[in-house]
Amino acid sequence: MTRSLTVQVCLALTTAFLLMAIYGPISVTVAGAFLPMKGGIIQGFDPSLTAFTKLTADAGLIRSLVVTLAVGAVATMISVVLATALALFTTERGGLHARVVALIVFLPFVMPPMVTGLSLLIFFRDVGIDRSLLTVTIGHVAIILAIAYRGIVVRLTDLGRSLIEASLDLGASRWQTFARVILPNISGSLVASAVLCFALSFDETLITLLLTGTESTFPIKLWGMTRLGITPAANAILAILLAATLAGSALAIWIRQRRSN
Amino acid sequence: MTVLSGLARPTASLAVYAVLSVLIVVPFLSFLAMSFFSVDGVTIVRTPTMVNFHRAFTDPVMMTVFGRTVLLCVGIALVTTLIAYPVAVFINGLQGGARYVLLTLVTAPLILSYVMKIYAFRSILGGNGLLNRMLLATGLIDTPSNFFVFNLNAVFLVLVVLLAPFAILPILLSLEKIPASLSEAAADLSAGRWTTFRTVTLPLSRPGIATAVSFTFIMAMGDFVTPQMVGGPNGFTFGRIIYSQFGLAFNWPFGAALGVLMAAVIVVVLALAMRLGRIPGGAGR
Repeated sequence: MTRSLTVQVCLALTTAFLLMAIYGPISVTVAGAFLPMKGGIIQGFDPSLTAFTKLTADAGLIRSLVVTLAVGAVATMISVVLATALALFTTERGGLHARVVALIVFLPFVMPPMVTGLSLLIFFRDVGIDRSLLTVTIGHVAIILAIAYRGIVVRLTDLGRSLIEASLDLGASRWQTFARVILPNISGSLVASAVLCFALSFDETLITLLLTGTESTFPIKLWGMTRLGITPAANAILAILLAATLAGSALAIWIRQRRSN
Repeated sequence: MTVLSGLARPTASLAVYAVLSVLIVVPFLSFLAMSFFSVDGVTIVRTPTMVNFHRAFTDPVMMTVFGRTVLLCVGIALVTTLIAYPVAVFINGLQGGARYVLLTLVTAPLILSYVMKIYAFRSILGGNGLLNRMLLATGLIDTPSNFFVFNLNAVFLVLVVLLAPFAILPILLSLEKIPASLSEAAADLSAGRWTTFRTVTLPLSRPGIATAVSFTFIMAMGDFVTPQMVGGPNGFTFGRIIYSQFGLAFNWPFGAALGVLMAAVIVVVLALAMRLGRIPGGAGR
């Protein structure tokens, strides 16, 4: 059923208004990366890339980026492996096990990051582990595990038992069944979960802020930079991140739509 | 049958619960335990006491900030969802290229650096900021307004805008699931557009609405970075107070007790969301 024109116009206006509120401040900041600015007003049209070239010389910033990529890669790998084991366990046993494991796995994700972060902070202090990139990585695993688990469980449940039973009946060992039947069937969801986990880990701020030692990850570095006030360097970073983010989500949605067609 | 039972059944269970305990259960229990300890100078006294909870409930400042923060977050959750719903309906009605572009524009801010989004917002707030200048230029106000200058109103504004994409997606997902045949049937049975929306679309999108409201509430409640960056010296929220107990104030037990209160509120909100998120007359799920 088609909508009346008035309703359609109102919906479009709300959407336009919201997009303006989201992208307005971002575009002003992005403009500040290229143009001299004061108080959000362009001070003459004199575009330059100095803000960007300065960034490449900032060793601390580059290091934080490397650290973040490393933490993200390790945390994602651990989460996906662990989530696969947990998903195999719960889809097989079902019942109470499935409910208890799901409850525990989703707890850190559902609680505000601050509660999860403080829990880990207190725990690490109790057992005498100093704050470092290790504690940050563990913290990231604790929250992104839920995402990986959910994706993999859904796929395993869809897969059903008949294929696995057939494989075992035909004399394949358990390991062969896992490697040749289960793994190829869930590989799509493993990749999707890994991408999502990595994206979450890359931008994780609140938990990292509580668990990090002397090393800064990228968001923590940004948080430090932005506290100093509005600087062209920070604006340049926003410009780069925005471009990467738009490209990333355009790609993700394109893949999703292609699949559903 | 099965793949895992290469290990004996109890061994597998043991391994699973051992990992989950160390990673998740024990940390949360330590957090709970900490709320019953007390602090003496810089050492934590591990004798159970109710002193933290007593202080939390009797300290007028704590209770005021707590009440104010809950109200603020309820407001943020409701307003965000009210804005997100029409946007989701609009996107759901689109086809092809327009839908693709809008979906991209709405999801991109989800993964854009959180700190950077707040930073961008902060740069247009402020007495002499772009927002104030725009309002002056459009004639909406005559003198620069302090309404959005580094206070709780600024926190409200920034969080509504930043959380809106998180509310749009679950609503859109629940709208996508409603078969077109249902509204066609309603139209055939001579229901008007408004009646169809009220009796078919709205009830069937309830799970999405419940997810949107509860998720935005939880995100707003647990945030301490946004209030820190745009809240100014007076925009104190509960999250900021908890955070300060683990920093300058150095009272971990008291901070943990306040954290337990926050977690309790969130559990209540989640329980409510699960109840309200059921489709009326639907099959339970």
